Amino acid sequence: MLLIPLIGIALGVGIGLFLPWEIPLSYKNYTALAILATVDAIFGGMRAELEGNFIFSKFIVSFFANALLAVGLAYFGYSIGIDIYLGAVVAFSIRLFNNLSLIREFLLIRYRQRGNEQ
Amino acid sequence: MSKHSWKIGVGLASMLLGMLLVFQFRTETNVKTYLPQFTTASELGIKWNRMQTDLNKKEEELKRLRQLIQEYNQEEELKSLRMAAGVTPLRGPGVEITLTDVQRPLKSYEDPNLFIVHYDQLELLVNELWAAGAEAVVVNGERLVAQTGFSCAGTTILVGTRKLAPPYIIRAIGDAVTLKAALTIPGGFIDSQILPFELGIKIEIKDSLYLPPYRGSSVFNYAAVVPEETEEPTPVDGEAEVETDEAGEGWEIVGEGEVL
Repeated sequence: MLLIPLIGIALGVGIGLFLPWEIPLSYKNYTALAILATVDAIFGGMRAELEGNFIFSKFIVSFFANALLAVGLAYFGYSIGIDIYLGAVVAFSIRLFNNLSLIREFLLIRYRQRGNEQ
Repeated sequence: MSKHSWKIGVGLASMLLGMLLVFQFRTETNVKTYLPQFTTASELGIKWNRMQTDLNKKEEELKRLRQLIQEYNQEEELKSLRMAAGVTPLRGPGVEITLTDVQRPLKSYEDPNLFIVHYDQLELLVNELWAAGAEAVVVNGERLVAQTGFSCAGTTILVGTRKLAPPYIIRAIGDAVTLKAALTIPGGFIDSQILPFELGIKIEIKDSLYLPPYRGSSVFNYAAVVPEETEEPTPVDGEAEVETDEAGEGWEIVGEGEVL
């Protein structure tokens, strides 16, 4: 269960180290949002799988939609001088913790069920 | 496919996350190496203040140096050096001294050698004038410069390479009263060098004397200018290496490194 994201992150880090790119300084805050959006998508995907209603297209679409919305909000905030991106950060963080707690519940329940079966 | 599709989705998202993290980390470390580690505004303020005072100091120094450059007049320095070198004609107040051999007919027992002007007497006179503050001296129209030396060849006196004939007229620019006093002081030049030999001397104070320039050449075949920063300290008396032959060696002159 937890192995898939770990392998994915390791692969990503390997590819990232291999590629010579880096984020331009002015896009730093957008990357922060993008990272949060990805983490959110990972946990969301895991939760959906555990609930048994994972749909690949929905996963992809919601990931990009969330990321674009967050970046759009941040850009809008910068252009009017208000740190609206903080709103996106908070929203993503709350979703993260929600998803994490749900995943934890599921895993715990599954662990108990296995224990009872034995 | 549907059973494993979540693995692909989550895996791809995780990969993206890993790459993003690496890129972001790279940017962050670069930024930290380029920017100094000042965390608070007050630290920056202190730094700014310090730099501002530094800047003020440097600006003041710059102003001072600019002023120095303005005050430094190359023309003026060149002029005074040319005056000292004797390459320009000069005009000014001073004394004119006329020195002549003995005027009366000598008696048969008197040595005529004693009653003529010798080159060392001329040199003594000129030295006395320099010591008394003469700014420029001319002997029979020959301007005295740093390399000028007095010598005698047979019966004539040489100043530098120029032959002189009596009367010897010495013109010196300077404080005329002082120059005259330096020569006439009791026990001085006139007392010791002129009166005993009955030589003729006439000292006239002139308001305006014309001194011709040095006409000779200044050739330096052996000497080279030492840059100021590599100047060696002048040895103090007694420390200097004195290359004297031991007594009794005679006149043998040994050229260094030469095979005799």
